[in-house]
Amino acid sequence: MNIRRMGILFSKEFLYGSRSYVFVFSVVRPIIISIIISLVFGTWLVEKPELGIIDEGKSQLVSMFDDINSIDNTRYNTIAEIREAVETGAVDIGIVIPPDFDDSVSKGEKTEIKAFIWGESTAKNRSTIGAAIANTVRELAGQEAPVEINTITLGDEASIPWNDRLLPLIVLMAIFLGGIMLPSTSIAMEKEKRTIRALTVTPVSIEEIFLAKGIFGFILSFFMGILILVINNAFGAQPLLLTAVLALGAIMAAELGTLLGVYVRDFATIFTIWKSTGIILFAPAIFYMFPRIPDWIGRIFPTYYITQPIVELSQKSGVWNDISTNTFILIAIDIALIFILLFTLRRKQYTAAS
Amino acid sequence: MNIHIIGILISKDLSLFFRKRAILLLTLMGFIFYLVIYFVMPSTVDENLEIGLYSPVPLPIFNQVEEEGLEISPLESEELLKEAVLDGSYVAGISIPADVVEKLDSKQKPVISLYFTPDAPQELKDAMETIVRELVFMQTGHPLAFEVSEEILGQDLTGTPIPPRDRLRPLLAIFILMMEILGLSNLISEEIERRTARALLVTPATVTDIFVAKSIFGIGLAFIQAVLIMTIIGGMNKQPLIVLISLLLGAELATGISFLISARARDFMSVLAWSVPFLIILIIPSFTILFPGAVTGWIKIIPTYYLVDTVHRAVNFGSGWGDIWINLLILFGFTVVIFYAGLYMLRRKFR
Repeated sequence: MNIRRMGILFSKEFLYGSRSYVFVFSVVRPIIISIIISLVFGTWLVEKPELGIIDEGKSQLVSMFDDINSIDNTRYNTIAEIREAVETGAVDIGIVIPPDFDDSVSKGEKTEIKAFIWGESTAKNRSTIGAAIANTVRELAGQEAPVEINTITLGDEASIPWNDRLLPLIVLMAIFLGGIMLPSTSIAMEKEKRTIRALTVTPVSIEEIFLAKGIFGFILSFFMGILILVINNAFGAQPLLLTAVLALGAIMAAELGTLLGVYVRDFATIFTIWKSTGIILFAPAIFYMFPRIPDWIGRIFPTYYITQPIVELSQKSGVWNDISTNTFILIAIDIALIFILLFTLRRKQYTAAS
Repeated sequence: MNIHIIGILISKDLSLFFRKRAILLLTLMGFIFYLVIYFVMPSTVDENLEIGLYSPVPLPIFNQVEEEGLEISPLESEELLKEAVLDGSYVAGISIPADVVEKLDSKQKPVISLYFTPDAPQELKDAMETIVRELVFMQTGHPLAFEVSEEILGQDLTGTPIPPRDRLRPLLAIFILMMEILGLSNLISEEIERRTARALLVTPATVTDIFVAKSIFGIGLAFIQAVLIMTIIGGMNKQPLIVLISLLLGAELATGISFLISARARDFMSVLAWSVPFLIILIIPSFTILFPGAVTGWIKIIPTYYLVDTVHRAVNFGSGWGDIWINLLILFGFTVVIFYAGLYMLRRKFR
């Protein structure tokens, strides 16, 4: 294995592969699907009410707003700034807290807050912010709440929102579409145009050719996995661990793509295989959509060992202990696929030379 | 300038455009995709928090609350309340205990139950707790220690909010117009690279005829598509003349940019490479409508801001000439400069 030759092959792959329709298809499709799902299930446009604050004194109210989960807040320095923020809809309501506000509130004296309200802000956002301000000021004044509130979640089982249920499918699609299609179609095209034979008479080995294509598939697959999680704001509390799992998944996708390229001779066959057997890859993500399906069925499929860690880390705030077993199985699958790939390549190298 | 020759050149461009399958497919797919996106977007806004209430004793503040954004409906039993919350009729259910009045009178804290579905977000639960606490404060006669002086900025849309679907209209119009840059740039650059443009010059057609034909074809193609999609999605219901003029200027702007790109590009890939940065920059202003406040004042240096803003204000607020004439004037200025710059660059390339 020669690093320089590998670099040349990879840069060729990057230069020409990134111009192919398959590349554009692999990048654009998961993004479009992700955006449509977010639009349909309403996660893209659902935001917390936004409160803008100008503190003309040093009110404790400002830091108290940071602890409120039902609204977001942003600080501004001048009236002009907050007016612009309200006019453009950056915040729903902008308030100006006067210099002596805390003193007046604690003494029970009447004081006034100036509020700018964005005309397009919804009534429920205005109401939520209004209640949050009132509650916080009461807390500042030392007024004790006259009630206790008991929050009860109804239903027997934890319901998973549909956009969460669909996330593993989109992530798998992003990883495997590029990871499989890019190396396999690239190899198939080299076979169709007979350039692979030309390459084998140069000093490059067949392993180097396939590895360069596999690495390109891995990079696209890995990048798309990360991008989809970023778009869906689903990196969870363990982003590094999640990135590592995505990398292992991208390795599996690139290995399968390269393996497919070894056996398949043309573009049409790859698409037929993709259409007919793609369901095997996505089965664990489909089962995840329906929590009543027993977990053991999903375990039959190799991609379960990517899906489970991704779901655990991105949606259930999981840690290493929750995913370690499945991650080790994933690593074992990746290593096994490398050996299978090398074995088949050795046989194919003989065929190419002949 | 010969009208007959221009007509022939336009029909030639049309047949060439429809012969290029990739471009035609992109145009058709784009058109359908935009319509799908529009129709899957919510057509209404949940302006109010719809809340179910079970209260065995009368608590006037809960039954007669006039707070905007809250819609509290009484239910006859706690079981009915739970069922209604679970089937999604209400975002939350409030259950008041029977001894609430006695406890409040004796300065004890009654326990109020709030019911939610399993997928209710935490911020909704927190918001509901805050609201209920505030209502009980009001019920028990605890006045607020401050007053609020309110000023509404912009048109107050309480009661008639703009649905997300309608916010998408300017974005779709601009997408259609700007995507046409791809098709037109490819058409012209191919003609230059294959030297068919030069061949045309040995016919009775003059350079002016060729450019007039290209301009009419480009503007017409982009304009017709934009008008068609705006009509389908209801963008012509208010101030149609303003919308039509804005789209016409937008189509001319897109054609001018296509001229600039085709003066540089050599083939379909280089058309793509040159078009994508232009498309990204030109489309950014439309996101200010979809995500208000997402960008700051710098957005006004992008010419399409004036197109998007005009269409948004005309279509969604019914703004008239008096409100948007400055926008149209600036858009016209940008369009003239870019169109003639494109024409100049392309003429140089022809020579």
